[in-house]
Amino acid sequence: MITCLNCRHKNPAGAIFCAECGAQLNAAEIITQSIRTDKALESVSQNVRKLDFPKAISDNAWGSLHLIDTGQILPLVERNEFTLGRISEGQPIMPDLDLSPYQAYASGVSRLHALLKRDGKRVILMDLGSSNGTYVNGKRLTANVERLLSHGDVVSLGKFKIQVLIK
Amino acid sequence: MLRSPDYYAILGVLRDASQEEIRRAYLDAARRLHPDKNKAPGETEIFLEVQQAYEVLSNPKQRKTYDASLPAKREEQPSYPIFHQISFSRALLVRLKEPQLIYVLLDVRARKTDAPPPAPPLNICLVLDRSTSMKDAKMDLLKAAAIQFLREMRPEDVFSVVSFSDRAEVVIPASYQKDRHKLEAQIRDIQASGATELFQGLECGLNEVRRSLGSRYVNHLILLTDGHTYGDEQACLDLAQQAGEQGMGISVMGIGTDWNDIFLDQVASRTGNTSRYIARPQDIQKFLTEKFHELTRVLAEEITLEFAPSPGVELNYAFRLQPEAGPLSFGAPMHLGPVLWDTHLSVLFEFLIQPSAIGAGGLCFLEGDLKITMAARPAPLPPIRIHFEREVADTPDPTPPPSAILQALSRLTLYRMQEKARAEMGAGEVEKATLSLKNLAVHLLSQGHQELAKTVMLEAENIQHKRSISLEGEKEIKYATRALLMNQGDRVE
Repeated sequence: MITCLNCRHKNPAGAIFCAECGAQLNAAEIITQSIRTDKALESVSQNVRKLDFPKAISDNAWGSLHLIDTGQILPLVERNEFTLGRISEGQPIMPDLDLSPYQAYASGVSRLHALLKRDGKRVILMDLGSSNGTYVNGKRLTANVERLLSHGDVVSLGKFKIQVLIK
Repeated sequence: MLRSPDYYAILGVLRDASQEEIRRAYLDAARRLHPDKNKAPGETEIFLEVQQAYEVLSNPKQRKTYDASLPAKREEQPSYPIFHQISFSRALLVRLKEPQLIYVLLDVRARKTDAPPPAPPLNICLVLDRSTSMKDAKMDLLKAAAIQFLREMRPEDVFSVVSFSDRAEVVIPASYQKDRHKLEAQIRDIQASGATELFQGLECGLNEVRRSLGSRYVNHLILLTDGHTYGDEQACLDLAQQAGEQGMGISVMGIGTDWNDIFLDQVASRTGNTSRYIARPQDIQKFLTEKFHELTRVLAEEITLEFAPSPGVELNYAFRLQPEAGPLSFGAPMHLGPVLWDTHLSVLFEFLIQPSAIGAGGLCFLEGDLKITMAARPAPLPPIRIHFEREVADTPDPTPPPSAILQALSRLTLYRMQEKARAEMGAGEVEKATLSLKNLAVHLLSQGHQELAKTVMLEAENIQHKRSISLEGEKEIKYATRALLMNQGDRVE
């Protein structure tokens, strides 16, 4: 018997994908690392200084992501919708924004973690049923429910902290 | 040197064939080649050889003498035009107290040749729905597509057209195409009116194909319909079953959203084929042209699998990934589908193995024969005997499944989630169906199919609000997830 880590459905031995939710099973080494996020998140929102919108990339980007731990800034350009996650070898999952170069695995980012999109002036975030959850300013989101973001909000994918900068 | 004829090859059986297999092979050949039916040059001679082979092999004494005269047993001949590969999701089965799954990917393909083989002649019937719902623009587009299809026919092709509503009529009887202008006019004269009674159309169409039914041709019926048939479903399935046994294929093209795709998949799958969804009538012509080109690339018209699973082993699911993705029906024999000269036939099986099936040694969980019907080749090929077997160990093997199986399953999982959502909808389990669709949408997003994910999310919302799925969304999702399976097909260079 293999219990699906995503939905707890019990699949017969030898199953490769969960018959209930379709998640891949049985891949102990490639599943998202499970981490404790409660402590790490408590003080997040206070410590982060609001950044101004970076001038250099502001021309055609509708926003950008400031990776707090490493300081990088990723512009949001060309499309109105981004899936956030990390590419993992041998997996058919392709997030639009691959966070694996920024220690995403160690921070507990799922292969497909959250969806960020622009709808007119509004910027919306939705958790896609990730293992370690998505937080906005320390508050956990319900999976598959949209949440409106404001400029400067701190989003945590597991422990992976991003400040969202909206134009 | 005079070589005695190879009676086994002539009958298309293996050297160790049982008397029953020999008898069946003879009856099959007799049906195909009987002099009363076949007038092609050379076929009567082949029939006489078959007759002689049967006389020798069906008599145990004569067979023994004949066997003794044969050279040492040879393995598969190198000239065999088709070969197969089997891969498993796991290297080992495990000794467990609970049931376990194993996936098997069967790949049947053409041996590489320098040039493409000559395209086989077709014996083809278009069966056109002319019920009232087809009226006006839809009917005009259908007729235009049929005329275009007629223009594609080559001089060696046999072509017929049947139209049906609550009764069927032959618009163009099966024949070679001489006076195309006249035939085109006959197609143009089709008028829409009446209800959809599928049985009428199928029966009439199959009769047209049957008039020239023979191993020289690829024998195929293409049904184009836009509606539901009522009350004659079982009769249609029986017809399809019979057509499959006699070597006729049935492909279905459903136009718009009101046709019964699940039922018509069943009809087509009984001949190793499937249904296609044509959302816009403007595309009928494109689909028909595609089908024509597919049929002219057929190398083996059909591969069937006759098998007996071991006790305690269940075949849970079987799906053809290519050339045309579609579910398989579990008849005996199982109709797997065609092999094109440039496209493999790939079938994925899911077996559930009970603890009782596992004994001391390894387990052969399926033993069967792949029977190959080559296009445009009157002499049969001997079947290929296949075994699905694995060693059994006490601990699982950590090797991940082969990537071909993993890739295929990851996409097939999407298709099955769609099936699951529909089954849940059918059972009135609205919440479950909504959740299944949402899960499906997430996986689609993760694999980069944004548009389709949106369609799925929209339907999930539809279900929540209206407690029903739109006919359009239902078909769009089904055939789009199916198409994902086909895109990965690799062709022989």
